[in-house]
Amino acid sequence: MQQMIDFAKGPLFALTFLIMVLGLLRHVIIQVYSLIIRKGRRLKNAAWKKIALDGLSWVIPVKHIIPGTRIFSASSFLSHIGLIIVPLFLAEHVVLWESFLGIGLPSLGTGFADALTLFTIACLLILFCYRTFVKRHREASVGMDYLLLVMIIVPFTSGYMAAHPWVNPIRWDTMMLIHILSGEALLLVIPFTKLAHIVLFFFDRISNLHWQLRPGAGDRVAEALFEEEVRAS
Amino acid sequence: MKPELNSKQTSSIGQGGERNYPYYIMNPPEGDRVNRFLEAFAAVLQYSDYKPLLDSYCMSNARCNRCAVTCPVFQVTHDPRDIPCYRTNLLLDIYKRYFTLGGWFKTRLHPGFELTEETIDEMMEIFYRCTACRRCTKECPMGVDHALITRLGRYILSLIGIVPKALQVSVDEQLHGKTGNTSKIPKVALLNTLEFLSDEMEEQLGVRMEFPVDQTGRDRVFFCAVSDYLLEPDTLMGNAAVLYAAGDWDTWTVGTGNYDGINYGLFYSDWHLENIIKNIVKEVDRLKGRSVLIGECGHASRAAHDFIPIFGGKKPPPVVNFMEYTLECLRKGKIQLDESIITEKVTYHDPCNIARSGWIVEQPREILRSFVKDFVEMAPHGEENYCCGGGGGLVSVDEIHDYRMNIGGKVKADQIRKTGAEIVVAPCANCKKQLRELVDHYKLPCKVMGLHDLILKAIKIPGGKSPLERKQEAAQMEM
Repeated sequence: MQQMIDFAKGPLFALTFLIMVLGLLRHVIIQVYSLIIRKGRRLKNAAWKKIALDGLSWVIPVKHIIPGTRIFSASSFLSHIGLIIVPLFLAEHVVLWESFLGIGLPSLGTGFADALTLFTIACLLILFCYRTFVKRHREASVGMDYLLLVMIIVPFTSGYMAAHPWVNPIRWDTMMLIHILSGEALLLVIPFTKLAHIVLFFFDRISNLHWQLRPGAGDRVAEALFEEEVRAS
Repeated sequence: MKPELNSKQTSSIGQGGERNYPYYIMNPPEGDRVNRFLEAFAAVLQYSDYKPLLDSYCMSNARCNRCAVTCPVFQVTHDPRDIPCYRTNLLLDIYKRYFTLGGWFKTRLHPGFELTEETIDEMMEIFYRCTACRRCTKECPMGVDHALITRLGRYILSLIGIVPKALQVSVDEQLHGKTGNTSKIPKVALLNTLEFLSDEMEEQLGVRMEFPVDQTGRDRVFFCAVSDYLLEPDTLMGNAAVLYAAGDWDTWTVGTGNYDGINYGLFYSDWHLENIIKNIVKEVDRLKGRSVLIGECGHASRAAHDFIPIFGGKKPPPVVNFMEYTLECLRKGKIQLDESIITEKVTYHDPCNIARSGWIVEQPREILRSFVKDFVEMAPHGEENYCCGGGGGLVSVDEIHDYRMNIGGKVKADQIRKTGAEIVVAPCANCKKQLRELVDHYKLPCKVMGLHDLILKAIKIPGGKSPLERKQEAAQMEM
C-alpha cells in the first residue's frame, strides 16, 4: 500500500499536475492569441477602466451577494477561499510543493486548516443541495455539475479524515490513497471541464473586448452565404 | 398566464404542416433549416471573432443560475427557459457538438445532442424573449455575456431568414430603400418637419430658429432616432432650445443624406450594424463634420459610441450623447434652467444601452436635480436598472405586445408605481414607446417624457419668453 501511495504522490502526481498545467496553458495561449493578435488595435476601444473595476469587484464579491440568491452566492464565493488556500498552503502540501517545484510556501496552522476544510465542505454541500432541491437550479443543471461537486468534495473530506483518525472509518493508508487519487483526478479534469475557469475566469470577465467586432466580417459572412443566391437571381 | 411570446401561436407546426413563427416573419425559410443554420454558424465562425469567446464560455459556463434572479423576464415567468444561462447553453450546445474537437469525439462515442428543427423553433422563440438588457451579465460570476450570445444566436437565425418582420423591414429601408431611414421619412418630409418645429418654437419660445440643414464644417452632425421627427417634437425642440440658449446654434447641422441614428443591427446582425454605422460616418464625412451628436436614444447612442470607433475608418468621429452635451452647457453656465417650473414628482428611467456600461448614469441626474425639486429614484436604478421590457428591438415587434406588457415590462411597471412619480423621464425613443404602452396597460397615474421635453419647459431662452410665461400660456391652452 505504501508503495502505491508513494507512486501516487510521486510520478502520478507529477503527470496529472503537468497535464493540468499544460491544459490550462493551452486555454491561456488560445485566449491571449485571439484577443491580442486577432483583435489588435481594436483593443484600445475597450472600456479598460470599467473592465478593471468590474474584475476587482469580484475579488471580494460582497456587493454581488444579491437578493434571491444570497445563501447560494455566499456559499459559492466562500467555498473558493478554501478551494484556493487549502490545497496550496496546507502544511503537508507545502512539503509536497517544496519537493516537486522547489517552492517554499507559508503553511497554515493545523487548527485553521481544519476549520477552513470543514467550512469549505459545508459550502460545497450547500451548493450540492441547491442543485438537487431548488427547482431553478436543478432544471438548468446537468450531470457534470453534480459530478464535479462530488469530485471536489471527496479529496477535501478524505484529506480531513486521513488527518483525523477518530473520524476515519477505514485504514489510514486506504484513506490517504483515496485522497491522493481523487485529488489527482480533480487536477486531471480541470482543463477539460468548467473548472478551467481557474484561468478562463480572467478572460470571460473581459467580455467587453468581445464586443469589439471584426470590421468587414459581416460582409464576408454574407458573401459566403448569399453569393450563390445573388448570382442565381 | 402561460408565458408564450405570442399567445396566439403556440405550436411551431400548424395543423396543415405549415410552420408558425412566434412573431411575423416576411419570408419564412422553407425546407431544411438545420443545415442552413449550421452553414451560417460556420460562416460566422470563419469570418468573425466569436470562436475564442465560445470556446471559453463552453468551458467555464458554470450554470450556477444566479443570473435567473437578475432577469426581469424570469422574475415574472419563473420559466426555466427564461434563465439566461439556459438560453446561452442552447447556442453553446450547438457549438460544442458541431464545431469543437470534443464534440466530434463525443459523437463518436454517443450520438448525444443533435440540432433539430425543434431546437431552431425553441431558439427563435427564446432569443426574442430576451430584452438584451445585459443585467444578467453584470451578475454572472464567470462574466458570461448572455446578451452577446443571444445576439449571436439572433444573428445566425437572421442569416437563414428568421428575423421579425418589424426589424427586417426597417433595416431594409434604411440600407437599401429610397428614404434611407427606418421610418421611411423622405427628405421633403424631414424639411417640412423642421419647418414645423421652427414655427412651433417661435410660438412657444418667442424666438425664431431656422434649423441648420446640410451645413458643412460644423462641430456637430445631429442624428436622432428618426421616429422622433414624427413622434417626439418636444424632445427635438428641447434639443434645439439647448443648442440655441447655449449660443451653439451655428455649431451643428442635420444632414439630409442620412438623418437616422437607429441601428437595429445592434440587436441582431453584425452585418447590418456595420453598414449602418458606415452610413453615419459617410454622412459626417460628406458634411465635413467634426463629431456625431446623438439625440435621446439609448441603442442609437450605444451603437454609435461603441461601434463608430471600430467600423468608422481610420479617423472615426467622436460621439457625444445629447445629455452629455447639455450637462456640459449647464456646468459651464451656458444654459439656465428655471427651478420653479417643474413641480411634479419626477423619476428617471435608465435606458439599458447607455446605463449598463456606466456611460450615462449621473449626467441626466445632475441635470434633473438642477431644476426638478421633487426627484425620486427607482429601486434599483443606474447600472442595476430594470429594462422597460421593450429592449433588444422587442418594442418594434407589435405581434408580441401582450408579452411586452404582461411579462417583459411588468417589473418596470411595478417599479414606476412604487415611486409614485407623476413624470417618468426616459431619454430613449424605444423606452418611451414601451413605457407609454405600460402606463396605459397598467393604468399608472403618470406620463412619460424625454429629458429634453422637460428641459424645454424650464430652459431660459435669451430674448424669448420666460419659462413662467410659457407655463402660463400652456396652462391656458389646456383650459
